[in-house]
Amino acid sequence: MFSNKHNNLINLIKDSQSLKFIDVESNKIYYLNDMLFDLDTMDLPRSLGFLYLDTSLISLKVYLTFLNSPHALVLLSDSIDLKLKENLEDSYLPTFIIDSKRAKIPKYTTDKITGNASIIDLHINTSYTTKLHENIKILLSTSGTTGSPKLVKLSEDNILKNALSICEYLPIATTDVTPLNLPLHYSYGLSVLHSNAISGTTIVCGLPDILNKDFWNYLEEHKFTSIAGVPFIYEMLKRIGFMKKSYPSLKYITQAGGNLSQNIKMEFYEYCNDNAIEFFVMYGQTEATARISYVPPADLKNKITSIGKPIKNGKITIDDKTGELLYSGPNVFGGYANEIENLACWEDIVHLRTGDLADKDEHGFYYIKGRLKRIVKVFGNRINLDEIEAYLKSRLNMSLLACTGIDDKILLIAHSNEALNESELKKAIFASYKIQGSAIKFKYFEELPKNKSDKIDYNKIILQYLDN
Amino acid sequence: MTNNDILLKAFVTILEIEASKIDDDLKYQSIAEWDSINHMFLINEIESVFNIEIDSEDILYFKSFKETKVALSKYNVTF
Repeated sequence: MFSNKHNNLINLIKDSQSLKFIDVESNKIYYLNDMLFDLDTMDLPRSLGFLYLDTSLISLKVYLTFLNSPHALVLLSDSIDLKLKENLEDSYLPTFIIDSKRAKIPKYTTDKITGNASIIDLHINTSYTTKLHENIKILLSTSGTTGSPKLVKLSEDNILKNALSICEYLPIATTDVTPLNLPLHYSYGLSVLHSNAISGTTIVCGLPDILNKDFWNYLEEHKFTSIAGVPFIYEMLKRIGFMKKSYPSLKYITQAGGNLSQNIKMEFYEYCNDNAIEFFVMYGQTEATARISYVPPADLKNKITSIGKPIKNGKITIDDKTGELLYSGPNVFGGYANEIENLACWEDIVHLRTGDLADKDEHGFYYIKGRLKRIVKVFGNRINLDEIEAYLKSRLNMSLLACTGIDDKILLIAHSNEALNESELKKAIFASYKIQGSAIKFKYFEELPKNKSDKIDYNKIILQYLDN
Repeated sequence: MTNNDILLKAFVTILEIEASKIDDDLKYQSIAEWDSINHMFLINEIESVFNIEIDSEDILYFKSFKETKVALSKYNVTF
Protein backbone atom coordinates (compact mmCIF):
# COMPACT_ATOMS: atom_id res chain seq x y z
CA MET A 1 0.00 0.00 0.00
CA PHE A 2 2.82 2.43 0.82
CA SER A 3 5.92 2.99 -1.26
CA ASN A 4 9.42 3.16 0.18
CA LYS A 5 9.43 6.86 0.79
CA HIS A 6 6.70 6.18 3.34
CA ASN A 7 8.89 4.03 5.48
CA ASN A 8 8.60 6.30 8.44
CA LEU A 9 5.88 7.94 10.43
CA ILE A 10 6.71 11.58 9.80
CA ASN A 11 6.63 11.10 6.02
CA LEU A 12 3.16 9.62 6.29
CA ILE A 13 2.12 12.49 8.54
CA LYS A 14 3.45 14.97 5.97
CA ASP A 15 1.31 13.31 3.32
CA SER A 16 -1.90 13.75 5.34
CA GLN A 17 -3.21 16.81 3.55
CA SER A 18 -6.21 17.26 5.81
CA LEU A 19 -4.21 17.17 9.07
CA LYS A 20 -4.80 20.23 11.28
CA PHE A 21 -4.16 21.20 14.86
CA ILE A 22 -6.39 23.35 17.04
CA ASP A 23 -4.86 25.01 20.06
CA VAL A 24 -7.64 25.86 22.50
CA GLU A 25 -5.45 28.27 24.47
CA SER A 26 -4.93 30.60 21.50
CA ASN A 27 -8.05 29.36 19.67
CA LYS A 28 -6.02 29.09 16.45
CA ILE A 29 -5.68 26.51 13.73
CA TYR A 30 -2.24 25.26 12.68
CA TYR A 31 -1.08 23.06 9.82
CA LEU A 32 1.91 20.75 9.97
CA ASN A 33 4.26 23.34 8.45
CA ASP A 34 3.35 25.77 11.21
CA MET A 35 4.26 23.14 13.76
CA LEU A 36 7.87 22.53 12.78
CA PHE A 37 10.73 24.50 14.31
CA ASP A 38 13.75 25.21 12.17
CA LEU A 39 16.56 22.88 13.23
CA ASP A 40 19.08 23.96 10.55
CA THR A 41 20.99 26.07 13.04
CA MET A 42 21.32 23.17 15.41
CA ASP A 43 23.75 21.32 13.14
CA LEU A 44 24.08 18.15 15.16
CA PRO A 45 24.74 14.62 13.97
CA ARG A 46 22.18 12.06 15.17
CA SER A 47 22.15 12.49 18.95
CA LEU A 48 20.20 11.65 22.07
CA GLY A 49 17.67 14.29 23.16
CA PHE A 50 15.43 14.57 26.21
CA LEU A 51 12.05 16.16 25.55
CA TYR A 52 9.99 17.14 28.59
CA LEU A 53 6.41 17.41 27.37
CA ASP A 54 2.83 18.11 28.32
CA THR A 55 -0.16 18.32 25.95
CA SER A 56 0.23 22.00 25.01
CA LEU A 57 0.69 23.31 21.48
CA ILE A 58 4.36 24.03 22.13
CA SER A 59 5.00 20.45 23.32
CA LEU A 60 3.32 19.12 20.22
CA LYS A 61 5.46 21.40 18.04
CA VAL A 62 8.60 20.21 19.82
CA TYR A 63 7.69 16.56 19.46
CA LEU A 64 6.76 16.77 15.76
CA THR A 65 9.88 18.82 15.00
CA PHE A 66 12.16 16.19 16.47
CA LEU A 67 10.17 13.31 15.02
CA ASN A 68 11.12 15.01 11.75
CA SER A 69 14.83 14.78 12.62
CA PRO A 70 17.38 11.96 12.80
CA HIS A 71 17.67 12.23 16.59
CA ALA A 72 16.72 9.64 19.20
CA LEU A 73 14.24 11.02 21.72
CA VAL A 74 13.48 10.27 25.34
CA LEU A 75 9.94 11.51 26.03
CA LEU A 76 9.25 12.51 29.61
CA SER A 77 6.64 14.31 31.66
CA ASP A 78 7.62 17.93 32.25
CA SER A 79 6.07 17.81 35.72
CA ILE A 80 8.45 15.30 37.32
CA ASP A 81 10.63 16.63 40.12
CA LEU A 82 13.83 18.45 39.21
CA LYS A 83 15.86 15.92 41.13
CA LEU A 84 14.42 13.03 39.13
CA LYS A 85 15.13 14.91 35.90
CA GLU A 86 18.74 15.45 36.94
CA ASN A 87 19.16 11.79 37.90
CA LEU A 88 17.91 10.69 34.50
CA GLU A 89 20.14 13.17 32.70
CA ASP A 90 23.16 12.01 34.74
CA SER A 91 22.38 8.43 33.69
CA TYR A 92 22.01 9.09 29.97
CA LEU A 93 23.97 12.30 29.27
CA PRO A 94 21.65 13.60 26.53
CA THR A 95 23.28 15.88 23.97
CA PHE A 96 20.27 18.17 24.02
CA ILE A 97 17.34 18.87 26.33
CA ILE A 98 14.09 20.75 25.86
CA ASP A 99 12.34 21.60 29.10
CA SER A 100 10.18 24.71 29.37
CA LYS A 101 10.41 24.49 33.17
CA ARG A 102 14.15 25.29 33.25
CA ALA A 103 15.82 28.41 31.87
CA LYS A 104 19.33 27.08 32.50
CA ILE A 105 20.72 23.59 32.95
CA PRO A 106 24.19 23.09 34.47
CA LYS A 107 26.80 21.84 31.94
CA TYR A 108 24.55 22.82 29.02
CA THR A 109 24.64 25.97 26.90
CA THR A 110 21.32 27.47 26.00
CA ASP A 111 20.43 28.14 22.41
CA LYS A 112 17.20 29.14 20.72
CA ILE A 113 15.30 27.44 17.97
CA THR A 114 12.58 29.31 16.13
CA GLY A 115 9.45 28.28 14.36
CA ASN A 116 6.22 29.86 13.23
CA ALA A 117 6.00 32.82 15.66
CA SER A 118 7.54 30.88 18.53
CA ILE A 119 10.96 30.53 20.04
CA ILE A 120 12.06 27.89 22.50
CA ASP A 121 15.17 27.17 24.52
CA LEU A 122 17.35 24.28 23.49
CA HIS A 123 19.99 23.18 26.00
CA ILE A 124 23.00 21.62 24.30
CA ASN A 125 26.18 19.91 25.36
CA THR A 126 27.99 18.68 22.24
CA SER A 127 30.69 16.95 24.29
CA TYR A 128 28.12 14.28 25.14
CA THR A 129 28.15 11.88 22.23
CA THR A 130 26.06 8.91 23.23
CA LYS A 131 26.48 5.81 21.12
CA LEU A 132 23.06 5.05 19.66
CA HIS A 133 21.90 1.97 17.82
CA GLU A 134 20.52 3.02 14.43
CA ASN A 135 17.09 1.51 15.16
CA ILE A 136 16.37 3.59 18.24
CA LYS A 137 13.98 6.48 17.65
CA ILE A 138 11.79 6.88 20.75
CA LEU A 139 12.50 5.92 24.35
CA LEU A 140 9.64 5.77 26.83
CA SER A 141 9.58 5.14 30.54
CA THR A 142 7.27 2.34 31.64
CA SER A 143 6.24 4.15 34.77
CA GLY A 144 5.66 7.64 33.41
CA THR A 145 6.10 9.84 36.41
CA THR A 146 8.52 8.17 38.79
CA GLY A 147 11.72 9.09 37.01
CA SER A 148 12.90 5.49 36.78
CA PRO A 149 15.89 5.13 34.43
CA LYS A 150 14.33 2.03 32.84
CA LEU A 151 13.42 2.95 29.27
CA VAL A 152 11.69 1.05 26.48
CA LYS A 153 13.55 1.23 23.15
CA LEU A 154 11.29 1.79 20.14
CA SER A 155 12.17 2.15 16.46
CA GLU A 156 10.72 4.17 13.59
CA ASP A 157 9.27 0.94 12.32
CA ASN A 158 7.66 0.11 15.70
CA ILE A 159 5.77 3.40 15.90
CA LEU A 160 4.77 3.36 12.23
CA LYS A 161 3.50 -0.22 12.24
CA ASN A 162 1.60 0.16 15.48
CA ALA A 163 -0.10 3.33 14.22
CA LEU A 164 -1.07 1.58 10.97
CA SER A 165 -2.52 -1.41 12.85
CA ILE A 166 -4.54 0.90 15.09
CA CYS A 167 -5.94 2.68 12.03
CA GLU A 168 -7.16 -0.69 10.78
CA TYR A 169 -9.68 -1.11 13.60
CA LEU A 170 -10.51 2.34 14.95
CA PRO A 171 -13.06 4.22 12.81
CA ILE A 172 -10.74 7.19 12.29
CA ALA A 173 -11.81 9.54 9.49
CA THR A 174 -10.38 12.78 8.12
CA THR A 175 -13.39 14.65 9.50
CA ASP A 176 -12.61 13.56 13.08
CA VAL A 177 -11.80 16.06 15.80
CA THR A 178 -9.59 14.30 18.32
CA PRO A 179 -8.68 15.73 21.72
CA LEU A 180 -5.16 15.02 22.97
CA ASN A 181 -6.27 14.30 26.50
CA LEU A 182 -3.48 11.86 27.41
CA PRO A 183 0.18 12.86 27.83
CA LEU A 184 2.62 12.41 24.96
CA HIS A 185 5.22 10.67 27.12
CA TYR A 186 2.69 7.89 27.67
CA SER A 187 2.55 5.24 24.94
CA TYR A 188 -1.26 5.31 24.77
CA GLY A 189 -1.30 9.12 24.40
CA LEU A 190 1.40 8.95 21.75
CA SER A 191 -0.55 6.28 19.85
CA VAL A 192 -3.61 8.55 19.74
CA LEU A 193 -1.47 11.31 18.21
CA HIS A 194 0.24 9.01 15.70
CA SER A 195 -2.85 7.18 14.47
CA ASN A 196 -4.76 10.44 14.06
CA ALA A 197 -1.90 12.33 12.47
CA ILE A 198 -1.40 9.76 9.69
CA SER A 199 -5.18 9.72 9.15
CA GLY A 200 -5.30 13.48 8.66
CA THR A 201 -7.78 14.36 11.42
CA THR A 202 -8.06 17.59 13.40
CA ILE A 203 -6.08 17.23 16.61
CA VAL A 204 -6.93 19.43 19.57
CA CYS A 205 -4.19 20.38 22.03
CA GLY A 206 -3.76 22.61 25.06
CA LEU A 207 -6.75 21.06 26.81
CA PRO A 208 -7.39 21.10 30.55
CA ASP A 209 -8.23 17.71 32.08
CA ILE A 210 -11.74 16.28 32.19
CA LEU A 211 -12.35 17.58 35.71
CA ASN A 212 -12.36 21.11 34.27
CA LYS A 213 -15.62 22.54 33.00
CA ASP A 214 -13.67 24.02 30.08
CA PHE A 215 -12.87 20.56 28.72
CA TRP A 216 -16.60 19.97 28.26
CA ASN A 217 -17.11 23.43 26.75
CA TYR A 218 -14.36 22.69 24.22
CA LEU A 219 -15.88 19.30 23.47
CA GLU A 220 -19.10 21.06 22.50
CA GLU A 221 -17.45 23.95 20.68
CA HIS A 222 -15.08 21.84 18.56
CA LYS A 223 -17.33 18.76 18.39
CA PHE A 224 -14.86 16.15 19.61
CA THR A 225 -15.45 12.79 17.94
CA SER A 226 -13.58 10.61 20.46
CA ILE A 227 -12.14 10.45 23.98
CA ALA A 228 -9.35 8.15 25.16
CA GLY A 229 -9.11 7.05 28.76
CA VAL A 230 -7.38 4.82 31.27
CA PRO A 231 -9.60 3.07 33.85
CA PHE A 232 -9.38 5.95 36.30
CA ILE A 233 -10.59 8.42 33.66
CA TYR A 234 -13.66 6.22 33.15
CA GLU A 235 -14.26 6.14 36.89
CA MET A 236 -14.06 9.92 36.95
CA LEU A 237 -16.35 10.20 33.91
CA LYS A 238 -18.91 8.10 35.72
CA ARG A 239 -18.59 10.15 38.92
CA ILE A 240 -18.96 13.51 37.15
CA GLY A 241 -22.16 12.34 35.46
CA PHE A 242 -20.83 11.82 31.92
CA MET A 243 -23.49 9.18 31.24
CA LYS A 244 -26.34 11.48 32.29
CA LYS A 245 -25.84 13.62 29.20
CA SER A 246 -25.49 13.09 25.49
CA TYR A 247 -22.71 14.27 23.19
CA PRO A 248 -23.92 14.11 19.60
CA SER A 249 -20.44 14.65 18.12
CA LEU A 250 -18.88 11.60 19.83
CA LYS A 251 -18.32 8.68 17.45
CA TYR A 252 -16.22 6.40 19.57
CA ILE A 253 -14.38 6.20 22.89
CA THR A 254 -11.40 4.02 23.76
CA GLN A 255 -10.21 2.48 27.01
CA ALA A 256 -6.77 1.00 27.68
CA GLY A 257 -4.04 1.19 30.30
CA GLY A 258 -5.36 -1.45 32.66
CA ASN A 259 -8.46 -3.32 33.63
CA LEU A 260 -11.67 -1.31 34.02
CA SER A 261 -13.97 -2.98 36.53
CA GLN A 262 -16.67 -5.03 34.89
CA ASN A 263 -19.65 -3.05 36.27
CA ILE A 264 -18.37 0.24 35.00
CA LYS A 265 -17.40 -1.28 31.66
CA MET A 266 -20.93 -2.65 31.30
CA GLU A 267 -22.47 0.72 32.19
CA PHE A 268 -20.38 2.43 29.55
CA TYR A 269 -21.26 -0.30 27.08
CA GLU A 270 -24.99 0.28 27.69
CA TYR A 271 -24.58 4.03 27.50
CA CYS A 272 -22.61 3.84 24.24
CA ASN A 273 -25.04 1.37 22.78
CA ASP A 274 -27.95 3.74 23.49
CA ASN A 275 -26.09 6.74 22.11
CA ALA A 276 -24.61 5.27 18.92
CA ILE A 277 -21.06 5.55 20.25
CA GLU A 278 -18.59 2.74 19.62
CA PHE A 279 -16.77 1.65 22.78
CA PHE A 280 -13.34 0.11 22.21
CA VAL A 281 -11.79 -1.80 25.09
CA MET A 282 -8.12 -2.38 24.32
CA TYR A 283 -5.01 -3.99 25.78
CA GLY A 284 -1.36 -3.25 25.30
CA GLN A 285 2.01 -2.40 26.77
CA THR A 286 4.65 0.23 26.17
CA GLU A 287 6.92 -2.69 25.17
CA ALA A 288 4.54 -3.26 22.23
CA THR A 289 4.75 0.46 21.36
CA ALA A 290 1.20 0.71 22.73
CA ARG A 291 -1.37 -1.68 21.31
CA ILE A 292 -1.58 -5.48 21.39
CA SER A 293 -5.29 -6.31 21.17
CA TYR A 294 -8.80 -4.84 21.18
CA VAL A 295 -12.38 -6.01 21.54
CA PRO A 296 -14.54 -5.22 18.50
CA PRO A 297 -17.41 -3.09 19.92
CA ALA A 298 -20.05 -5.48 18.54
CA ASP A 299 -18.56 -8.29 20.64
CA LEU A 300 -18.05 -6.33 23.83
CA LYS A 301 -21.32 -7.27 25.50
CA ASN A 302 -20.61 -10.98 25.25
CA LYS A 303 -16.89 -10.62 25.89
CA ILE A 304 -16.99 -8.00 28.61
CA THR A 305 -14.01 -9.36 30.55
CA SER A 306 -11.88 -10.07 27.48
CA ILE A 307 -8.90 -8.13 26.16
CA GLY A 308 -10.09 -9.12 22.68
CA LYS A 309 -8.13 -10.30 19.69
CA PRO A 310 -4.70 -9.25 18.44
CA ILE A 311 -4.38 -6.20 16.21
CA LYS A 312 -3.55 -6.63 12.54
CA ASN A 313 -0.08 -8.11 11.98
CA GLY A 314 0.15 -9.08 15.63
CA LYS A 315 0.01 -12.56 17.07
CA ILE A 316 -0.76 -13.76 20.57
CA THR A 317 0.32 -17.12 21.91
CA ILE A 318 0.27 -18.54 25.40
CA ASP A 319 3.36 -20.09 26.93
CA ASP A 320 2.66 -23.78 27.51
CA LYS A 321 4.63 -23.93 30.70
CA THR A 322 3.83 -20.67 32.44
CA GLY A 323 0.52 -19.58 30.91
CA GLU A 324 2.07 -16.22 30.09
CA LEU A 325 0.67 -14.12 27.24
CA LEU A 326 3.32 -13.77 24.54
CA TYR A 327 2.97 -11.23 21.78
CA SER A 328 4.80 -11.01 18.48
CA GLY A 329 4.48 -8.39 15.80
CA PRO A 330 6.28 -5.48 14.13
CA ASN A 331 5.55 -3.26 17.13
CA VAL A 332 7.58 -5.30 19.65
CA PHE A 333 10.31 -3.16 21.21
CA GLY A 334 14.08 -3.62 21.03
CA GLY A 335 14.72 -4.24 24.71
CA TYR A 336 15.13 -2.07 27.78
CA ALA A 337 17.76 0.49 28.54
CA ASN A 338 18.75 0.81 32.18
CA GLU A 339 21.91 2.77 31.50
CA ILE A 340 23.65 4.65 28.72
CA GLU A 341 25.54 1.60 27.36
CA ASN A 342 22.24 -0.13 26.56
CA LEU A 343 21.51 2.52 23.91
CA ALA A 344 24.23 1.09 21.65
CA CYS A 345 22.34 -2.15 21.06
CA TRP A 346 19.00 -3.44 19.84
CA GLU A 347 17.57 -6.84 20.63
CA ASP A 348 15.36 -8.53 18.07
CA ILE A 349 12.65 -9.82 20.35
CA VAL A 350 10.39 -12.38 18.72
CA HIS A 351 8.08 -12.95 21.66
CA LEU A 352 7.30 -10.13 24.01
CA ARG A 353 6.81 -11.68 27.44
CA THR A 354 4.00 -9.55 28.85
CA GLY A 355 4.09 -10.91 32.39
CA ASP A 356 0.32 -11.35 32.18
CA LEU A 357 -1.24 -14.78 32.56
CA ALA A 358 -3.93 -15.40 30.00
CA ASP A 359 -6.20 -17.90 28.36
CA LYS A 360 -8.24 -18.04 25.20
CA ASP A 361 -11.88 -18.96 24.58
CA GLU A 362 -13.30 -21.00 21.71
CA HIS A 363 -13.90 -17.83 19.66
CA GLY A 364 -10.26 -16.72 19.84
CA PHE A 365 -10.77 -14.03 22.50
CA TYR A 366 -8.11 -13.66 25.17
CA TYR A 367 -8.61 -13.10 28.90
CA ILE A 368 -6.12 -11.92 31.51
CA LYS A 369 -6.08 -14.21 34.53
CA GLY A 370 -3.37 -12.68 36.64
CA ARG A 371 0.20 -11.49 36.61
CA LEU A 372 3.37 -13.50 36.57
CA LYS A 373 5.56 -10.74 37.92
CA ARG A 374 4.93 -8.81 41.07
CA ILE A 375 3.70 -5.78 39.18
CA VAL A 376 0.52 -3.91 40.03
CA LYS A 377 -1.12 -0.81 38.74
CA VAL A 378 -2.22 1.71 41.30
CA PHE A 379 -4.50 4.13 39.48
CA GLY A 380 -2.74 3.36 36.22
CA ASN A 381 0.71 3.83 37.68
CA ARG A 382 2.72 0.69 36.93
CA ILE A 383 4.48 -0.35 40.11
CA ASN A 384 7.01 -3.09 40.64
CA LEU A 385 6.21 -4.34 44.15
CA ASP A 386 9.65 -5.80 44.71
CA GLU A 387 11.17 -2.44 43.88
CA ILE A 388 8.91 -0.60 46.34
CA GLU A 389 9.59 -3.24 48.95
CA ALA A 390 13.34 -2.83 48.53
CA TYR A 391 12.98 0.97 48.64
CA LEU A 392 10.98 0.86 51.86
CA LYS A 393 13.25 -1.70 53.49
CA SER A 394 16.29 0.42 52.88
CA ARG A 395 14.56 3.66 53.82
CA LEU A 396 13.16 2.24 57.03
CA ASN A 397 16.09 -0.02 57.65
CA MET A 398 13.80 -2.90 58.48
CA SER A 399 13.41 -6.27 56.85
CA LEU A 400 10.00 -7.24 58.20
CA LEU A 401 7.99 -5.62 55.50
CA ALA A 402 5.98 -6.74 52.49
CA CYS A 403 4.10 -4.88 49.78
CA THR A 404 1.20 -6.09 47.74
CA GLY A 405 -1.54 -4.61 45.60
CA ILE A 406 -5.32 -4.94 45.77
CA ASP A 407 -7.62 -4.44 42.75
CA ASP A 408 -5.35 -1.85 41.08
CA LYS A 409 -6.46 0.61 43.76
CA ILE A 410 -4.47 -0.05 46.89
CA LEU A 411 -0.83 -0.51 47.73
CA LEU A 412 -0.85 -2.53 50.93
CA ILE A 413 2.20 -2.38 53.15
CA ALA A 414 2.39 -5.14 55.70
CA HIS A 415 4.92 -4.51 58.47
CA SER A 416 5.95 -5.40 62.00
CA ASN A 417 6.90 -1.98 63.24
CA GLU A 418 4.49 -0.70 65.86
CA ALA A 419 5.96 2.80 65.71
CA LEU A 420 5.77 3.19 61.92
CA ASN A 421 5.20 6.82 60.91
CA GLU A 422 2.54 6.22 58.28
CA SER A 423 2.03 9.83 57.28
CA GLU A 424 5.71 10.45 56.65
CA LEU A 425 5.99 7.26 54.65
CA LYS A 426 2.99 8.20 52.52
CA LYS A 427 4.63 11.50 51.65
CA ALA A 428 7.88 9.77 50.73
CA ILE A 429 6.10 7.22 48.54
CA PHE A 430 4.16 9.98 46.77
CA ALA A 431 7.37 11.92 46.15
CA SER A 432 9.20 8.92 44.68
CA TYR A 433 6.47 6.84 43.08
CA LYS A 434 3.49 9.22 42.69
CA ILE A 435 1.18 6.89 44.58
CA GLN A 436 -1.47 8.95 46.37
CA GLY A 437 -1.58 8.61 50.16
CA SER A 438 -5.21 7.54 50.09
CA ALA A 439 -4.23 4.56 47.96
CA ILE A 440 -1.64 3.38 50.49
CA LYS A 441 -2.81 1.19 53.35
CA PHE A 442 -0.86 -0.27 56.22
CA LYS A 443 -1.40 -3.45 58.14
CA TYR A 444 0.53 -4.35 61.24
CA PHE A 445 1.43 -8.00 61.84
CA GLU A 446 3.22 -9.26 64.90
CA GLU A 447 4.73 -11.74 62.49
CA LEU A 448 4.35 -11.53 58.71
CA PRO A 449 2.45 -14.55 57.31
CA LYS A 450 4.69 -17.08 55.57
CA ASN A 451 3.94 -20.09 53.45
CA LYS A 452 5.37 -23.58 53.76
CA SER A 453 8.55 -22.71 51.92
CA ASP A 454 9.10 -19.85 54.38
CA LYS A 455 8.34 -17.14 51.83
CA ILE A 456 6.04 -14.20 52.47
CA ASP A 457 2.44 -15.27 51.87
CA TYR A 458 1.00 -12.27 50.06
CA ASN A 459 -2.44 -13.81 49.66
CA LYS A 460 -2.76 -14.31 53.38
CA ILE A 461 -1.73 -10.69 53.93
CA ILE A 462 -4.47 -9.47 51.61
CA LEU A 463 -7.08 -11.76 53.14
CA GLN A 464 -6.26 -10.66 56.68
CA TYR A 465 -6.34 -7.01 55.60
CA LEU A 466 -9.73 -7.44 53.92
CA ASP A 467 -11.06 -9.31 56.96
CA ASN A 468 -10.78 -6.26 59.16
CA MET B 1 -14.39 22.85 64.94
CA THR B 2 -15.68 25.40 62.44
CA ASN B 3 -16.61 24.25 58.95
CA ASN B 4 -13.44 25.92 57.72
CA ASP B 5 -11.39 23.78 60.12
CA ILE B 6 -13.20 20.63 59.05
CA LEU B 7 -12.59 21.39 55.38
CA LEU B 8 -8.96 22.25 56.05
CA LYS B 9 -8.51 18.96 57.85
CA ALA B 10 -10.04 17.07 54.90
CA PHE B 11 -7.50 18.73 52.58
CA VAL B 12 -4.62 17.95 54.92
CA THR B 13 -5.74 14.32 55.28
CA ILE B 14 -6.03 13.68 51.56
CA LEU B 15 -3.29 15.82 50.09
CA GLU B 16 -0.84 15.00 52.91
CA ILE B 17 0.46 18.56 53.02
CA GLU B 18 0.90 21.04 55.87
CA ALA B 19 -2.19 23.08 56.78
CA SER B 20 -0.06 26.19 56.38
CA LYS B 21 0.21 25.47 52.65
CA ILE B 22 -3.54 25.64 52.21
CA ASP B 23 -5.24 28.96 51.64
CA ASP B 24 -8.13 30.28 49.55
CA ASP B 25 -5.92 30.54 46.48
CA LEU B 26 -4.81 26.90 46.47
CA LYS B 27 -6.01 25.54 43.13
CA TYR B 28 -6.61 22.12 41.63
CA GLN B 29 -3.44 20.96 39.83
CA SER B 30 -1.40 23.90 41.17
CA ILE B 31 0.60 21.46 43.31
CA ALA B 32 1.65 17.87 42.54
CA GLU B 33 -0.40 16.52 45.45
CA TRP B 34 -3.71 17.94 44.19
CA ASP B 35 -3.95 15.80 41.08
CA SER B 36 -7.04 14.24 39.56
CA ILE B 37 -6.79 11.07 41.64
CA ASN B 38 -6.52 12.96 44.91
CA HIS B 39 -9.29 15.26 43.70
CA MET B 40 -11.68 12.31 43.65
CA PHE B 41 -10.47 11.15 47.08
CA LEU B 42 -10.99 14.71 48.30
CA ILE B 43 -14.58 14.79 47.05
CA ASN B 44 -15.25 11.52 48.91
CA GLU B 45 -13.63 12.90 52.06
CA ILE B 46 -15.67 16.11 51.89
CA GLU B 47 -18.85 14.06 51.48
CA SER B 48 -17.90 12.00 54.48
CA VAL B 49 -16.89 14.79 56.89
CA PHE B 50 -19.92 16.96 56.10
CA ASN B 51 -22.25 13.98 55.69
CA ILE B 52 -23.51 15.15 52.29
CA GLU B 53 -23.78 13.73 48.79
CA ILE B 54 -22.27 15.93 46.13
CA ASP B 55 -24.11 15.94 42.80
CA SER B 56 -22.01 14.77 39.89
CA GLU B 57 -22.34 18.04 37.97
CA ASP B 58 -21.05 20.05 40.94
CA ILE B 59 -17.70 18.23 41.09
CA LEU B 60 -16.34 20.38 38.29
CA TYR B 61 -16.72 23.47 40.50
CA PHE B 62 -14.44 22.39 43.36
CA LYS B 63 -11.51 24.03 41.61
CA SER B 64 -9.80 25.77 44.53
CA PHE B 65 -10.04 25.87 48.30
CA LYS B 66 -12.13 29.03 47.98
CA GLU B 67 -14.40 27.69 45.22
CA THR B 68 -14.92 24.52 47.24
CA LYS B 69 -16.41 26.63 50.02
CA VAL B 70 -18.65 28.44 47.53
CA ALA B 71 -19.77 25.14 45.96
CA LEU B 72 -20.56 23.69 49.40
CA SER B 73 -23.03 26.46 50.20
CA LYS B 74 -25.52 24.61 47.97
CA TYR B 75 -25.38 21.80 50.53
CA ASN B 76 -26.04 24.14 53.46
CA VAL B 77 -22.43 23.97 54.53
CA THR B 78 -21.59 27.60 55.20
CA PHE B 79 -18.34 29.37 55.96
